[in-house]
Amino acid sequence: MSGQRSVKIKPNYEVIAWKWMRYTAIALIPLAWFHMILQDVLVGVHRIDLNYVQVRWAFWGWRVYDFFLLAFAFAHGVNGLRQVLMDYIHSEKARIWVSWGLLVFWLVISLIGAFAIIGGVRMPSS
Amino acid sequence: MLVTVKILRYNPEKDAQPSYQTFQVEAEETDRVLDLLEKIKGEQDGSLSFRRSCGHGICGSDAMRINGMNRLACKTLVRDVGDQITVEPLLGLPKIKDLIVDMKPFFDHYRRVMPYFISDLPVPEDGRERLQSPEERLRFDDTTKCILCACCTTSCPSFWANDQYYGPAAIVNAHRFIFDSRDTATAERLQILAEEMGVWRCRTAFNCTEACPREIQITKAIAEVKQAILSGKV
Ligand code: FES
Repeated sequence: MSGQRSVKIKPNYEVIAWKWMRYTAIALIPLAWFHMILQDVLVGVHRIDLNYVQVRWAFWGWRVYDFFLLAFAFAHGVNGLRQVLMDYIHSEKARIWVSWGLLVFWLVISLIGAFAIIGGVRMPSS
Repeated sequence: MLVTVKILRYNPEKDAQPSYQTFQVEAEETDRVLDLLEKIKGEQDGSLSFRRSCGHGICGSDAMRINGMNRLACKTLVRDVGDQITVEPLLGLPKIKDLIVDMKPFFDHYRRVMPYFISDLPVPEDGRERLQSPEERLRFDDTTKCILCACCTTSCPSFWANDQYYGPAAIVNAHRFIFDSRDTATAERLQILAEEMGVWRCRTAFNCTEACPREIQITKAIAEVKQAILSGKV
C-alpha cells in the first residue's frame, strides 16, 4: 500500500508466543495428519509395541520426525492451555505462577521424550 | 398492538439478586424499544432506571441486551424484535441499578490506549491544518464511527471471561489513531496493545462486529492491529 509507515515495536513474550502458535500450527498439519494415518490406520494401535518402535527408530529419519512432532505438538498444546487459563485467572501473580508451572511441565515431558528419541530402544535381555 | 416487555430489574438497596418483571405496553410497530421503556417509566413504574440522552443513536448511552443481543434501545424498533421483548443490562460490567451498568472499567481500558491525537511534529508553516490525502483518511474511516456505547466489548466472550482484556472498543479507538498518517504515537499504542491483555485476547469470535450499532468492521480492525504489531508496518 502506498504511504506505508514503519514502526519499531519491541517483540515481547506474547508476540513471540502468538507467532509460535501460527508457525507450529502450519507444521502440525502434515506432521500430525501423517502420524495419525500411519500409526492409527495403517499400522494400528494394537500393533505398536517395543519391537515396532525399535524397527521404526532404527531409521534416523523417523527419530527426526518424532522429535519435530514432540517439539511442535506439545509446545503448541501447552501454550494453548496457557492461553485458555489466562482468560480465567484474574490475578496477575497467579498468571505468572501458572505460566512458570506450565513451562516446567512442558520442559520435563519434552526432556523425557527427547531422551527416549535420542537414546533409542534397548530391548530387555531375556 | 400489545407488547410484552420483560425487564431484568435490580435495586441494590432491596434485592439480593436481579429478577425479571413483566409489563404490558400498547405500542405501534414503528415505536422504538426506548419509547416502550419511557412509557413504562412514565405510566407504570417510575422507579425503572435506564440511561438515555440523544435518542438518535449518537450518544451511545442506551446500549442494553434486547432479546439476547446488544443493541441501542433508540435504534431498535418493535417490528425488528417482535411483541415479546426481553430487556437486560449489558453483560460483563457491574450492575448499578436495573439497566444501568458501571462503565468505569470500560472507560479505563479506553483511556489506556491514549485515544487522542498525538504529534511531536512542528505545526505546518502556514500555521493551519496538517494535510492528509483522501486515501490516507480512508484508512481509518471505519473506526472513526465509534460512539463508545460498549455494545461490542460487552458482547465479547473473552471480556466476559476476563474483564482485564482491553476489549474491542478500546482497540477500535486505538486503530483510529494508529492508522492516522498524522499521528506519531503509533509505536506506543501498538506496544500497549501487544501486552498480555491486549489484542491477543481476541479469538475472532465476531460477536463485536455483529453487535456494533454503527456497523464498524471491528474484528477486521483488531486483525489489522495484530498485523501491524507483527509486521511493524501501518
Ligand atoms: S439515546 Fe443516544 S444512542 Fe441511544
